[in-house]
Amino acid sequence: MVKAEEAVSQVVSTHLPRRRRWTPQQIFIFGLIVFFAAIMLLPFFWMLTTALKTNNGIYQLPPQYIPTTFDFANFGAGIRAVHFVRLFINTAIIAAVATIGSVVSSMFVGYGLARIRFPGRKIWFYAFVGSMMLPGIVGLLPMFRLYLSIGWYNTWFPLMIPAWFGNPFFIFLARQFYFSIPRSLDEAAKLDGAGHFTILTRIMVPLTRPIWITMAIFAFQGSWNDYLGPLVYLYSQSKWTLALGMASFSGVYNTPWNEYMATDLIYMLPPLIIFFVAQRYFMEGLGSLGGASVR
Amino acid sequence: MEVHPQRKRRRNPDAGIGYLFIAPSIIGFSVFVVYPLVTSIYYALTSWNGVSAPTFIGLKNFAFMFHSDPSFWPSLKATGLFVLMSVPTSLILGLALAMLLNRKIRGIRMFRTIFYLPVVLPAVATLTLWKFIFDPRFGFANELLSALHLPTSLWLGSYSMALPSIVIIGLWGVGGTMIIFLAGLQAVPQELYEAARLDGGGNWTILLRVTLPLISPILFLQLVMHIIGSMQAFVQPAVLTAGGPGFSTDLFMYNIWQNAFQNQAFGFAEAQVWVLFIAIILVTVFTFRLSSMWVYTEEGTE
Repeated sequence: MVKAEEAVSQVVSTHLPRRRRWTPQQIFIFGLIVFFAAIMLLPFFWMLTTALKTNNGIYQLPPQYIPTTFDFANFGAGIRAVHFVRLFINTAIIAAVATIGSVVSSMFVGYGLARIRFPGRKIWFYAFVGSMMLPGIVGLLPMFRLYLSIGWYNTWFPLMIPAWFGNPFFIFLARQFYFSIPRSLDEAAKLDGAGHFTILTRIMVPLTRPIWITMAIFAFQGSWNDYLGPLVYLYSQSKWTLALGMASFSGVYNTPWNEYMATDLIYMLPPLIIFFVAQRYFMEGLGSLGGASVR
Repeated sequence: MEVHPQRKRRRNPDAGIGYLFIAPSIIGFSVFVVYPLVTSIYYALTSWNGVSAPTFIGLKNFAFMFHSDPSFWPSLKATGLFVLMSVPTSLILGLALAMLLNRKIRGIRMFRTIFYLPVVLPAVATLTLWKFIFDPRFGFANELLSALHLPTSLWLGSYSMALPSIVIIGLWGVGGTMIIFLAGLQAVPQELYEAARLDGGGNWTILLRVTLPLISPILFLQLVMHIIGSMQAFVQPAVLTAGGPGFSTDLFMYNIWQNAFQNQAFGFAEAQVWVLFIAIILVTVFTFRLSSMWVYTEEGTE
């Protein structure tokens, strides 16, 4: 990973040597970047101001871009309107269990495929990775029937349990990353009497931090953001996730958009916070992904 | 560990532990991939309401789909249009932004983060945010257009603009494509650029002759992923339009979902799933075939 970072910084530094004065072309490009960034941020701005407007404020024409009075009551009202706390806890539990499951199982399977020699491991690897190509919808209806028959309909199990059986994409990432770690480390540990489980937990896990943090972010986002799964499997409103609650809140006749945006902001916060906290590792992990696909 | 020549004949001591390590995925592969894949073929040939036992009806689901279902062809058309509109725009914009941001400027990391931010957010959260932006009377989009003295639109409520509106919303998430292109651009050896410049290559020549050929494998991978992904788009019609107005945003995945979970026609929906699946395979194979014409490989000649 260090190597990749060095390479990147070298590339960047030779690309445009820093000069004291900016050429017109550089100013133009910088202006372009700022312009596009502003466009990207506009929806956020609109959301924030809407969340703080009064009930009359949202229907005022022309709209106030910066509200004269800030109405923080929208947060409370929105939270009560969608039973936000309940749905938030539901979503958090499902996301946590699914995230831990997919990261742990994929680290194990990836290790097995990269570091243990046994007959058939190549075939299994291609089978797992090949299954990524299969559109998720193909299995949805048979799985629905299966879950229904074992009493898992209207429970969280269909949203949490499959994660514990390895995620093909994560297995691919993990295997790729394990290959970059010198085998001499394993050999040394084996001489010291360490088994595969010890090598994985004591040597690999600390060394592959960027990759499992990347996996965890992807898994958490996938679960937190999932809409189709909860829509299909969760019937009772008390078991709903935020994705379902927010979608139905936005679909009612005359949505109170100020209250809606206030709760929508809180809904967005966990993925945002996790992204910012783990950003460094995330970009590193993604970088290795890009590097892998270049070759 | 020492390796003897005879080692192959002896039983591999690691075989058992190896299978123990990959056991989760073997179970997962059997239960979540093989089982539904095999049974879904049978379900596609049945009449089945999702609750009671399916009854075998042969190819009747497909016959109904192609000949009688009023929503099948419009839905296919909407999906095709969506792929044709969303894939090129997001690839071109993603690549353009990646090239724009592939330079050393103070604060460039912050800009990259800004462009990536919408990708992190839940689809439902961003879609509903845009639903209000596209509100014909009080939304930001029309407000901006009328401030610039441009014609306004009904956006999601308009037959012709609903699908493009969904494409525009998708472009807000172009940062995901951008980041992957950025990684690809940074892997291009810098000497090549310098050599091209010494040979008197201008910006456009370098883009067409150096950059694009070298990142063509990534471009190709992105193209395939985007096509597959947009053929399976579901959340946008589900949250925003319910397939309307008319069939203008009745994307195929949404049509399938409606038939299964709203019309209780599970067998028919499974038949549709197989049509979608085969369409995805055909389009992917076609894209791969075409790729040899423009994807650069080390051994390849121009």
